[in-house]
Amino acid sequence: MSKSKTNGRYSLELLFGSKARIKVLKFMFRNYPGDIDIKELAVRIQETYPMVRKEVELLHSIGLLRKN
Amino acid sequence: MAKKRKIIAKKKARARRVKKVLRKAKHIKVKTPRYVLNSNYEFYDELRNLILKSSPAEIDRMITKISGLGKVRLAIISGLFLNESTGGEIADLFIVGDDINKDRLRSFLKALEAEVGKEIKFSLMEKDEFQYRFGMFDRFVRVLLEGPHEKIINKLGI
Repeated sequence: MSKSKTNGRYSLELLFGSKARIKVLKFMFRNYPGDIDIKELAVRIQETYPMVRKEVELLHSIGLLRKN
Repeated sequence: MAKKRKIIAKKKARARRVKKVLRKAKHIKVKTPRYVLNSNYEFYDELRNLILKSSPAEIDRMITKISGLGKVRLAIISGLFLNESTGGEIADLFIVGDDINKDRLRSFLKALEAEVGKEIKFSLMEKDEFQYRFGMFDRFVRVLLEGPHEKIINKLGI
């Protein structure tokens, strides 16, 4: 069996196709049931505001996130 | 000259009025929405299990940041970063190094704690102290190295 090139480190990021999306998900699950606005979330996970807004809107559109 | 001053004073007064209006406008701005996970989502439990199994922080970026703190010889993650309940009572992050920039270290830890959303148990040792403690099977070092951990930087060959 061949060893993965990325050492398994970015498997979720690659699987989900977005580093920022995984960071948003990690933060939301680890801080459940806390709520947060996009600006603060961007600061906390150290991603840009437009990037975080894009991912949050996507997660909101599929129903995983809801507005509080 | 006096006329010019008068005009400037008028302009300043206008600017103040505009600022005042803007300040008021800020207060009546719509509240930004706050988001929370919807636990009724179809795959909520499955996704939760998957996400929580992963490390809370980006290890590769941590390595880069830690390397830039000074002459870092060893960096070990445990507990929180490996999603282990054990090990965390000793240290979630342990760094051995010299000439560590304290300001950079402080901001690094602050950012990391913000990302993880929890307090990080952190420990720092100079190389000489670590090697002395390592050689005499010091309890702290032993518990850390015998428990679940990962050496993300290891220039000591241990």
